[in-house]
Amino acid sequence: MTDEQIMEAVRNGDLQQASLLFDRYNKRLFNFLARMTMDRELAEDLTQNVFLRMIRYRNSYKPGHKFQSWIYQVARNVFSDHYQVNKKKKADHMDIEKVGEWVADENDGHTIDEQEKLLHRSMQLLSEEQRELLILTRFQHMKYEEVAEMMETTVANIKVKVHRAISKLREHYFQLEKI
Amino acid sequence: MEREKLEGLLIDFIDGRLNESERKEVKGLLNDPEVRVLYEQLKQVTSAMDRSSELNPSNRMFSDFQQMLKEETAKENAPQQKQVFFTPTVYRAAAAVALVMVGISIGYFVNKFNAQQETIARMEQERQEMLTNMSDPISASSRMKAVNNTTTMSTLDDVFVSALVKTMNEDKNTNVRLAALEALSKFQQEPKVKQELIAALAKQSDPIVQIALIQLMVKMKEKGVLNDLNRIIEDSNTIKPVKDEAYSGILKLS
Repeated sequence: MTDEQIMEAVRNGDLQQASLLFDRYNKRLFNFLARMTMDRELAEDLTQNVFLRMIRYRNSYKPGHKFQSWIYQVARNVFSDHYQVNKKKKADHMDIEKVGEWVADENDGHTIDEQEKLLHRSMQLLSEEQRELLILTRFQHMKYEEVAEMMETTVANIKVKVHRAISKLREHYFQLEKI
Repeated sequence: MEREKLEGLLIDFIDGRLNESERKEVKGLLNDPEVRVLYEQLKQVTSAMDRSSELNPSNRMFSDFQQMLKEETAKENAPQQKQVFFTPTVYRAAAAVALVMVGISIGYFVNKFNAQQETIARMEQERQEMLTNMSDPISASSRMKAVNNTTTMSTLDDVFVSALVKTMNEDKNTNVRLAALEALSKFQQEPKVKQELIAALAKQSDPIVQIALIQLMVKMKEKGVLNDLNRIIEDSNTIKPVKDEAYSGILKLS
């Protein structure tokens, strides 16, 4: 069954089918939100919130519409709402020296090297829009077409913005490397 | 070449998005040491992102999801609560308008009702004042005014009929008694008033009022008072002007 067929079943009241969509998307959405928030625990809560909204607002899913675009749009809204409610941006107060350490998790034995730490610190210096574009296209390997559809813009526009974001990331990365 | 365009070309080259001729062009550009450095740096950051390992959520997220799904399913299967509000916006708007209209109507009727209540209360107060004044033991003019005020009333209830009859028969001032008789005569068509006027003829001892009563009976063509008129004539205490009026009355009524 395709994602869209499962979501239509959920929309029609078969809520148990939501488990299938959770299995397919929970890790991707968690990764997206973890890299956006740079907080694993918060990302788990927000991911949970995405699936809660998927069930509660299932009628907002238009049959035939691509499920991936829709669920990522829900995730982006959840992220945006969280920081609007809290009236602060994580990036504004996070200690730049500690950025990157959140990725390491003793529970799953995840360790990171200096290069990856440098990458996350550089990511932190990007604007939220640039960081989101790189997370989607480079970390989550989404096609420009998919991102353009999700953000309701043209592929050319996304491509230009991604190139600028990579260029900016390169600047920060090699500046921080010198320190 | 413009810096932004060059970087875009290099990124597309790294991503393998260029055609054969574009690839040749980039390879030529890479002979420039500065471009070469830029290319190496871009390759380093893009590959760092590409190989960044995926993060794993904790087991808590899975159990929380199962719990949430269970709760949402239970809510879904629970009997629907009675819907209080209309769902389509147009119905809500119509309900709001209807509510406002009902509010205005209730307000209007409450105001009207209050105004009516005030009028009734004011009338009742005036009525009580009239009755009190009618039996004012000191001021004859006050009693006279109260009696005259009754003539402005459209109907006369039993309380006022009794009060006026009492004044007509018992008031110590003749003018007040005559005024009461005149007030009652205005309502002579009413059975209760008519009955009291006829009865008064038998009781009345004030000559001036007796004469006025006889004239009224004649005017009313009340033949039922003939016996009373005869009794007045035969009464030795009756003064001559009254007897004359009684004779005249008998003559006109016979």
